[in-house]
Amino acid sequence: MTVKIEASEGGMDHNVMLGIGLVGALVCIYLVYLNTLMSTEVFAFFGGLAAIIALWWGTDSIKNLCSYGLGTGVPSAGMIALGSGVVAMLFATKLAGISPLLVPVGCVVVAAILGAILGFISDKVLNMNIPVMTRMIAELTVVGSLTTLGFTAMVAGTFSFGDLITGATSVFGVEIASYASSVIGGCVLATIFMLGAIAIQHPFNACLGPNESWDRTQMCAIECGALSMIVIAIMSLAFLSLPAVVISFVISIILWGWSYSELIKLSKRDAFAWLDSQPIREVGGEQ
Amino acid sequence: MEEILFGIGISALAGALATVAGAAEDTESDIGSQGDPNSQVQLAPQMGYVHRIYNKAISGEPPAYGLWVALAAGIAWALMAIQYNAILALIIGSAVAVFVQGVYATTAYLGRTASLAKFEQPVYIDILKSVTTVTMAHAFVAVFTTVTMCFLIIEALGHPFPLPLMGLVWGIALGAAGSATGNPFYGKERQYQNYPFGAGLPISASGDIVRYAEAGQRSSLDNGWFTSKGAGPASGICFGLIVFFELWRTILFEPFAAGWGAVIAGAVIIIVFMVIDRMVETWARKTYGPYTTAEAVTEEEATA
Repeated sequence: MTVKIEASEGGMDHNVMLGIGLVGALVCIYLVYLNTLMSTEVFAFFGGLAAIIALWWGTDSIKNLCSYGLGTGVPSAGMIALGSGVVAMLFATKLAGISPLLVPVGCVVVAAILGAILGFISDKVLNMNIPVMTRMIAELTVVGSLTTLGFTAMVAGTFSFGDLITGATSVFGVEIASYASSVIGGCVLATIFMLGAIAIQHPFNACLGPNESWDRTQMCAIECGALSMIVIAIMSLAFLSLPAVVISFVISIILWGWSYSELIKLSKRDAFAWLDSQPIREVGGEQ
Repeated sequence: MEEILFGIGISALAGALATVAGAAEDTESDIGSQGDPNSQVQLAPQMGYVHRIYNKAISGEPPAYGLWVALAAGIAWALMAIQYNAILALIIGSAVAVFVQGVYATTAYLGRTASLAKFEQPVYIDILKSVTTVTMAHAFVAVFTTVTMCFLIIEALGHPFPLPLMGLVWGIALGAAGSATGNPFYGKERQYQNYPFGAGLPISASGDIVRYAEAGQRSSLDNGWFTSKGAGPASGICFGLIVFFELWRTILFEPFAAGWGAVIAGAVIIIVFMVIDRMVETWARKTYGPYTTAEAVTEEEATA
């Protein structure tokens, strides 16, 4: 039996969320470019903020898509979002060869086209016949690509392809450039992919049910994004200077601590009862 | 010859690590009711059966373990890149991954349970406090052994993949082995032990999971005790054999026919195991049957 899912009433209009998510994530990713302009690495954390904003928007897209009875499809929707998003994101980082400023916008455009094709195939060719499918898969692909681009920018401090395939490794104290110690060559991207894929599907998957509420699910999205930011900050030890890592780490911890405590408050508000060491309260099921 | 012996030794060690990983993984997921047993835990309150079972809905086990192991591997890789000692890096990586796992577990339990308020299912925070730490401990064993196995395969056997990618691949394999082998013990039988063995799950019994124990109420920790006896070791043997045979066939047969020897050996191993599986299945049906058609309505559902 499929668990019945009812999308919560109320909350912000999805189109408004799309606008905030898209513009907010793009602005934050562009702010990472300050690193290049000012020859520093301390602005890397903006990449993580971009990913959180994108995840916040993507959670609502998944909710819209999966309110059509896709109980087991929630994690799969997250997988297709990141799987197609990472293709668009890798292609877009190559645009840095023309101009680095093209990368974030190019990422959105390529992802939207790719997502629309994938959505069309799922909806019409595979005959899933879900009215919002094409649009939501396109949105999820954009969210996936912005999430990977944001986290990649956070871990490396840059989003141009050339910098992502060259890392520095120290051999007997001498720094030499090597592909194997770069973001892509070291496959840190694999970890980023999984972090994004679980973070995008988890909020709605965790909060689904008859009493799902918009603010609690969205707070869970922020919490998942901030939690991913913490570990991305730790991994950026391999690529960034210590002050930049510490700034990223402190900001992530504060964001996560705030969102986690808010999430617990909201759960307490929505729960039927909040009990400690109490027995089962029988409600008279079919005995 | 010496090289082959070294390779077989590493294979055996990796297989042993994988066996421990598989056993810990399945115990962890059953304590949290992750994977397909989760759908019945989620459904029970909706049918009027309020329970005290953990509801750890973090996607399926393969993607979830893909993340935990890839995360441990990614952090270990980053720490090794700044010249940390490898063993320390693996331990720190696993510890951070398990922290993330624990946080995801709590948000899943709180989220799912709070959303069931309509059916009067309360949030029991003592469950959150006592069970989360136990799943984290088992997850640490599973993640640390798997990521160590990946490190061994790369460093000792010279596998060309970087550690995070290797972690992703073997993490998904670990989750799949535990999900496929261990979960039926818990999801199909233990949750329904008041119905005849092998009866499947009729629609009328949906959600009627066992909620009371020998004394008092069934806790998810009891599932850990049960799983460590049957389902855990079975998953461990499954994952251990997968890892051992995978490495063993590559080391022994790769020199033949320009690498095709290993591919053919892999196909032969799969066929041999298919025959063994079929024999075990028919033996079990004969010994524990009979199965009537009325009970053949089964539920194959894997929410979460």
